[in-house]
Amino acid sequence: MKRVFSSITDGRGFDLVLVGVPFTFLLALSGLPLLYNILMSFQEVDMFSLGSVIRPFVGFRNYLDLFTQPETVSILKNTIVFVVGSITGQFLVGFALALFFWINFPGASWLRGLFLVSWVMPGLVVGAIWNWILSGDFGVLNFLLQQTGLMSSNIFWRSDPNFSLWAVILANIWLGTSFNMILLATGLSAIPADLYEAAEMDGANAWQRFWTITLPMMRSTIGAIIALGLIFTLQQFDLFAAITDGGPNNSSNVAQYWAWDLSFRQYDFGKGATISVIMTVFVMFAATVYVRSTRHEVRG
Amino acid sequence: MSENARNRLLLALSIVMAAIYLFPLYWMYVTALKSGSEMFATPPSFWPSSAQWSTFAYVWESRNMGRYLWNSTVIAFGAVALIAMLGTGCAYVLARYRNIWVDIGLFLILMFQVLPASLMITPIFVGFSQLGLLEYPRLAVILAITAKSMPFFVVLVRATFMAVPMELEEAALVDGNSRIGAFLNIVLPLARNGILVSAILIFMQAFGEFVYSKSMIQDIQLQPASVGLNSFMGPNTSEWNNIMAYATMYVTPILAIFVLLQRRIVSGLTSGALK
Repeated sequence: MKRVFSSITDGRGFDLVLVGVPFTFLLALSGLPLLYNILMSFQEVDMFSLGSVIRPFVGFRNYLDLFTQPETVSILKNTIVFVVGSITGQFLVGFALALFFWINFPGASWLRGLFLVSWVMPGLVVGAIWNWILSGDFGVLNFLLQQTGLMSSNIFWRSDPNFSLWAVILANIWLGTSFNMILLATGLSAIPADLYEAAEMDGANAWQRFWTITLPMMRSTIGAIIALGLIFTLQQFDLFAAITDGGPNNSSNVAQYWAWDLSFRQYDFGKGATISVIMTVFVMFAATVYVRSTRHEVRG
Repeated sequence: MSENARNRLLLALSIVMAAIYLFPLYWMYVTALKSGSEMFATPPSFWPSSAQWSTFAYVWESRNMGRYLWNSTVIAFGAVALIAMLGTGCAYVLARYRNIWVDIGLFLILMFQVLPASLMITPIFVGFSQLGLLEYPRLAVILAITAKSMPFFVVLVRATFMAVPMELEEAALVDGNSRIGAFLNIVLPLARNGILVSAILIFMQAFGEFVYSKSMIQDIQLQPASVGLNSFMGPNTSEWNNIMAYATMYVTPILAIFVLLQRRIVSGLTSGALK
């Protein structure tokens, strides 16, 4: 007993306790639910069988049912559009801003940091603000678009099935741009300045320097940021809840929102678990890409 | 062009960009101060003609915001306390050694970090309801947030511990400190700032958490402000000035903390996120 105690205060046991307790916690509250999710995706789980672990086993029926449902294809398509649209927008705007703030001038780093405001705000508040900005009759975005002559009549962003998904994408681009910019700026500042000096002496213009030095040197950073973007967009939930609620008629529904909707609005926990299992596989794939693209960098 | 004029031009340009980017935030504040009729005026006014400060008191009273914000604070503090207690030691050990087990640990941490809350809520909800944890919904949410956010905290704090020179700890051990003594007296004080900034980041995230609270807290008395905002925004709402006043009172404390600690938060974030 005494030996164990002294090992914990002054030996290997100290490290093992410090690492063991949190990992036990994480395995119990994240690892177990992950496995439980897989189990539930093979069961029929509704409000009545919620309390028991042994439930009717249905094999792959949840999976088969999901893929024969009419809305599945359009929701999966929405998810792809949402992910690709959000990541492209966030990355391009973020990269442009990062390149601009890369020029050194007094106040640059402070102003750049200010952009991160979007990242610390609660997602639901961001959603509420955009909901109001995108409002059809009185929204300020419609007003600005008409003033600048970009369009002639109001777009009903939230209730028009052609635009509802883009309403959420727009808000998500705003939300994620700052994070992209900050991480890209970190990558840019790590490129050695003498590379540019040498290229300038060889007569390369700004455009050539960008394509031959900046982009190749940023390759692993860009890979990591795109993987992170994929992870973050697949986590996005609050904006859907606050702007369109997945509607109208599922036109802005995506897989992660649908999974929650199936479980907590339609009380079909089995199907909710099934979507969750499928999406978790995608997220883990993105995480593996992220690990691979950061591994080559010097760590710590 | 002289250096000075160039700097001024760039500064002006960047201020314009920041203003465009931060316009949604401005629009929230302006709308909150408008009256019910001015809010729907065409063309919209970009400055309130007569600021309606009484909206704030009205919304605070009628929506019972004190209770909502109190619940958000309880949940956020609970989660941060639990995360800091569990995560700090974990980050320390993962920073101190370099071997295959640490790599496996880091990989697991990352995998736990990326799991989306909206996908994890289904098994967590069912599991918690079977364990009877939903009887204590705020505790259930705190546990769920802890599982979700601790990995991020570990990643951030690990970067801080990496910057503490190992020699200091070794010297303390030679001087007769035990491992636990060296950790508490030498390493922890040196990493204090990094831990504090990470804890603040986690606090801000937990303060705005929505999925878990929405799904697990049925009792309106115990719901946090994010859920309150969600139920305020019905599908056909027209009270936008009131909703924006709610949003203003909800985020202004967070924004104030952010602006005060901006430099530290940004550098803490970048040191952890890409490594």
